[in-house]
Amino acid sequence: MTREEFENNRRRFGDDIDAWPEALRGPALAFMALDGDAGADDALDRLVLQAALVEGDDRALARKVLARIDRGAARPSLVPRLLVAPAGIAACAAALLVTATIAGYQVARLQDQPQDSELLALAAGARLPDDGGPAIAGDAGEGDAL
Amino acid sequence: MLAAVRDEAVGGDEELLARIAAGSQAALSALMARHGRGLRTFAARYLGHAADAEDVVQEVFVTVWKQAARFDPGRARASTWLYRITANRCIDQRRRRALRNFFGLDDIAEEPAAPEANAETATAARQELAIVRDGLSRLPERQRMALLLRAVGELDIGAIAEVMGASAGSVEQLLVRGRRALRDHLADAAGGRERKSS
Repeated sequence: MTREEFENNRRRFGDDIDAWPEALRGPALAFMALDGDAGADDALDRLVLQAALVEGDDRALARKVLARIDRGAARPSLVPRLLVAPAGIAACAAALLVTATIAGYQVARLQDQPQDSELLALAAGARLPDDGGPAIAGDAGEGDAL
Repeated sequence: MLAAVRDEAVGGDEELLARIAAGSQAALSALMARHGRGLRTFAARYLGHAADAEDVVQEVFVTVWKQAARFDPGRARASTWLYRITANRCIDQRRRRALRNFFGLDDIAEEPAAPEANAETATAARQELAIVRDGLSRLPERQRMALLLRAVGELDIGAIAEVMGASAGSVEQLLVRGRRALRDHLADAAGGRERKSS
């Protein structure tokens, strides 16, 4: 819309753009928004509002909300929502890490735990075999010096 | 039209929330009649996805039903509180969709909130609105949110700052940049039409 067209329409339909024919309102608001005069921001905001409006059934929305409230189920299930939320993923990863760490310590502890017989042999001065063999033979010369 | 509906609501939303907190479903229905369309418009244009917007607005009102007692009229207006809940739900919804897209769970392409007008067949007014919708969808998220809160929610700078968790200065900057980008988009489209007609 040119300035001349805008001024002609204003003389014809008045200063209130809302009173203009629907087909002229959008172009008129766009002209005002681009014109740079005072009120250009307001005109642009009104144009954005008109452009943003979406069709929708307000009664259907109310029915669905009230049905959900009546069912008492604000959320279908907490677990799936938690799992797809960033915080849920981080919590799962942390739990997995802690579990794996504890499990690793447990396994390593069981593998490295010396038997009582080995401890007794060590206390008596025997040496552990390098290959981790099952039993530790007592020192052949043990007690000879006594 | 939204403004007219909202004017009727001035002074009544806080009372409605108090009745909702007391368990009145009629009050919730009245609140939905007043704000449902505005919240859905905001969510649809912010998310660019009509079905997601519908889900978000349902969640918002279920949250209002559950947490109306926590609303403090001394801290914010009811409309600011409603838009804050909606904005947070929209951000959550956007993250969920991004995550689902990342894992390939969503094959559905982004569905526009309303069909765009065909430039050759639509009226001049529809073309203008389609250009604005296109421009809005191209704005950075926070600029789009600030502009929609101003235009659709009719919130002032302070309320927008509260909804977005930003300072008033940041919101002013977002609005200035968003409006400038939209104006540039409109001017480009108008220039393109003039070149085409000549």
